[in-house]
Amino acid sequence: MSEMTAEVGQHLPALTRTLTRVDLARYAGASGDFNPIHYNDAAAEGLGLPGVIAHGMLTMGTALRVVTDWCGDPSRVLGYYVRFTRPVVVPAVGGVDVRFAGTVAAVADGVATISIEAMCGEEKVLGSATAEVRLG
Amino acid sequence: MPISDAHVGRSYPATAPYEVSRAKIAEFAAALGDADNPAYAGDDPIAPPTFAAVLAAAAWDGLFDDPELGLSLSRMVHADQRFAWRRPLRAGDLVSATLTIEKVRVRGAAAFVTVAVVLSTTDGEELCTASSTLVHTNEVAA
Repeated sequence: MSEMTAEVGQHLPALTRTLTRVDLARYAGASGDFNPIHYNDAAAEGLGLPGVIAHGMLTMGTALRVVTDWCGDPSRVLGYYVRFTRPVVVPAVGGVDVRFAGTVAAVADGVATISIEAMCGEEKVLGSATAEVRLG
Repeated sequence: MPISDAHVGRSYPATAPYEVSRAKIAEFAAALGDADNPAYAGDDPIAPPTFAAVLAAAAWDGLFDDPELGLSLSRMVHADQRFAWRRPLRAGDLVSATLTIEKVRVRGAAAFVTVAVVLSTTDGEELCTASSTLVHTNEVAA
């Protein structure tokens, strides 16, 4: 595998994904997570949510595409952490844009630490999101 | 007795082996909007890294099925998630998941439960550790 380079402060190409209810249904089927808060407004509102929300793992998995698109080979990803800070509310009609960006936060011992940002409107939906990528 | 730090260290039996398939990898990559990544296609694909969460979540059932803990999935919120991979999951891997309770913090009606799920092949090769903090809110008597 060829050597990659990364410099602290380097920005990775950003990504925007529009999430719709169909995307939530597809992720529910692919992951086996059929919690009704991801497809039933009454269930979501019953738990005090404004409406149906995206699976946290769908947001986390999509956010990592910023890293895997950049490094090319997903097997370079050694570690990944996120806090789920805000729910992504997905409307019944149309969709909601989630914007993902990444910055190289550290490089040491052949591993780059990428800081990932995920924004929905003006809200950060993931906190402390970081991935470790093997460069060598 | 509800969950408390007395339960730290408790482990549950490994889940039944799950065979990672090319079709499931393709389906999961498509669900992430990432069907075009060549690593997830072809004869010998790897799974998208966060596919590990699907297998880890199967081990969470051990918690909800343990009557001593008094936990219910419908009162649980996923607060954070960490993965540490040794190598990617590949089509053909036979994987089982073993859950251990790592940390419990109780604050009023809320219990913060950190679990570590180790994914291993049936040959004993460790692939990934998926750690999650789950916040469980007990029903508060009116």
